[in-house]
Amino acid sequence: MIATQKQYYFSGISIYSVRFSFWLQSLFILLLALAMFGPIVNLLIWTVTESWYFPNSLPSQWGVKYWLQVFNPYSDVSGSLLTSLLIAILTVVVCLLVSVPAGYALSKNSMPFRVFWMLLFLIPQAFPNLTVYMNIARLFYDFGLNGTLLGVVLVHSVHGLMFSIWISVAAFSSTDPMLERASRNLGAGPIYTFFHIVLPQAAPGLVASCIFVFLESLDEFTGTFFVGSPNINTLPLLLYTASMEGNYQIASITALILLAPSILFMVIIHKFMKPEMLSKLGK
Amino acid sequence: MTHLHIKDLQAGYGKKLILNNINLEVRQGEMIALLGPSGCGKTTLLNALCGFIPLSHGEILSDKRVISQLPAEQRNITMVFQSYALWPHMTVEQNVAYGLKVKKVKRADIETRVAELLNVVKLAGLEAEKVTALSGGQRQRVALARALAIRPDVLVLDEPLSNLDAKVRLSVRHEIKALQKKLGFTSLIVTHDQEEALVMADRIAVLNKGQIEQIGTPEEIYHHPSTAFVADFMGADNHIVWPIQDPGFSLNINLPPDDLSIYFRSENVSISLQATINNELNQQQNEGLIINGTVEQSVFFGNSYRISVRSGKHIIQAEHYKHLPGKTPVTLHILPEALHIYAADVKSSVLEKN
Ligand SMILES: Nc1ncnc2c1ncn2[C@@H]1O[C@H](COP(=O)(O)OP(=O)(O)O)[C@@H](O)[C@H]1O
Ligand SMILES: [Mg+2]
Repeated sequence: MIATQKQYYFSGISIYSVRFSFWLQSLFILLLALAMFGPIVNLLIWTVTESWYFPNSLPSQWGVKYWLQVFNPYSDVSGSLLTSLLIAILTVVVCLLVSVPAGYALSKNSMPFRVFWMLLFLIPQAFPNLTVYMNIARLFYDFGLNGTLLGVVLVHSVHGLMFSIWISVAAFSSTDPMLERASRNLGAGPIYTFFHIVLPQAAPGLVASCIFVFLESLDEFTGTFFVGSPNINTLPLLLYTASMEGNYQIASITALILLAPSILFMVIIHKFMKPEMLSKLGK
Repeated sequence: MTHLHIKDLQAGYGKKLILNNINLEVRQGEMIALLGPSGCGKTTLLNALCGFIPLSHGEILSDKRVISQLPAEQRNITMVFQSYALWPHMTVEQNVAYGLKVKKVKRADIETRVAELLNVVKLAGLEAEKVTALSGGQRQRVALARALAIRPDVLVLDEPLSNLDAKVRLSVRHEIKALQKKLGFTSLIVTHDQEEALVMADRIAVLNKGQIEQIGTPEEIYHHPSTAFVADFMGADNHIVWPIQDPGFSLNINLPPDDLSIYFRSENVSISLQATINNELNQQQNEGLIINGTVEQSVFFGNSYRISVRSGKHIIQAEHYKHLPGKTPVTLHILPEALHIYAADVKSSVLEKN
């Protein structure tokens, strides 16, 4: 008798605690979801809002007026989208031109001061962004690069090279040196071998590094702000001005446009990146 | 077809010297096996030949032309790599055609040559396969076809059979040999398997710690190993150091009274059941090494029994056609020509050869 009572008592507690912890967990997850997705939901709502005034929890007027405005070929957004894309593409080209030869050279263990060179490309990232960009802006001012497309591309490249060098060193290190030997063995010179054997092996990693650099360039704000403005207007700069002016619709739509390439990137990374490449980084 | 001549070659990695004083001639159309234990420098020698590592001394001549200064792509010595090193982003056909494309051979000629080679190595029909989809034996043959496509002066093969299963290995062994006889290319094949070397090669060079110990025909290497290392490596599984102060042993052979190191094969040990030493044997039979002992163990080996015989502190391996029970008293007899005898302290010098 006592035993059953005890059992009942215990099971009462356990049912109670299960329920309690269930609600607690649900609440926790809900809060977490709100924290993560709340801003995004808010952003999405703003993109289809025509008017929304303070005390209301939902917009008073819905519509796609601002989308039409954004995609008007003469709008600020279209213009800065083109500028952003142009800068991103040029940045990718500059980074590739540097990181392919550098990555190949640094992937060889025989390269002197290998680690030193690789760390060199990390140094700009070690200081606070702002100081670095302010100093670059000062330097560029002397060379007349401030406010030019070239100046912005160079600033983005300094930032992008960090990724592209490290990723391409990893990509080249993961290629099998025996494959190179086999090519030389069959009569191909070093340059022919590089383009026909080495590069195809490293291509997936290089593609990944290009995408990374491209996205970083699209998103870059600080450097562009210091070196490019007011002549060069990229999407992030536009986003900033729009938010400052309280034009949340334009800001939200711009943000959404900036989101698209990142999602594309996730998909491509999944297809191309080889895990063994990353493991070669430490060698 | 080419005559390859390696003169006083010395090479290694960085400051680490691996090969020393290598002298080797591969005659036209000959297949030489480089035989030696793992880590003795076989691959290093091929690397030096192909120009992947520089020589620190000596030279390599291909038909009297010095090639040791040329970069790898100008030597026309092609290699079948141990790992095959096929290009995974290319098809079978593209792999085989590569060397011809580099040489800017006409497209139609490339096609006929590739088709011809794929026929020879029995891969016709797999032209469009990615090499990653092939089995080990097939990859091996792609590597062979790729190396032969540009009609190299010399073909070198680095342990071409070591990545194959035992059964495939036996057939590929004969295929390579037949191909070599048919096409008549000069070649060097690396192996650590003595049987492979004996079966495939016209001559064998035994390598030990970066130096050549002996060069000779398979019969010479097998029957007259010139150093203790070669005898040991070629399967002389019994080794004793003379003199032995044991009444069970007697050695009747004309030799200076030095310390001797004696090797012989278990297959050359004949077993008789009675203790017949000294008396009933005639003079001729009495020559050589005679050992009295008792059977310790008898293990079935398929075509024979492997008998371990104990005599004093020594265990001698012998082969016999039938099982012998333990403790059986036996007499072992090894003829003089089956004994490989070396000076015990200077392991490499031969004292007596019959
Ligand atoms: N890339 C290398 N760098 C330094 N030492 C090496 C290298 N490759 C091989 N070695 C050394 O050279 C010796 C001979 O190696 P190798 O020619 O590959 O032997 P084998 O092919 O006969 O098994 C070994 O002691 C090995 O450790
Ligand atoms: Mg080897």
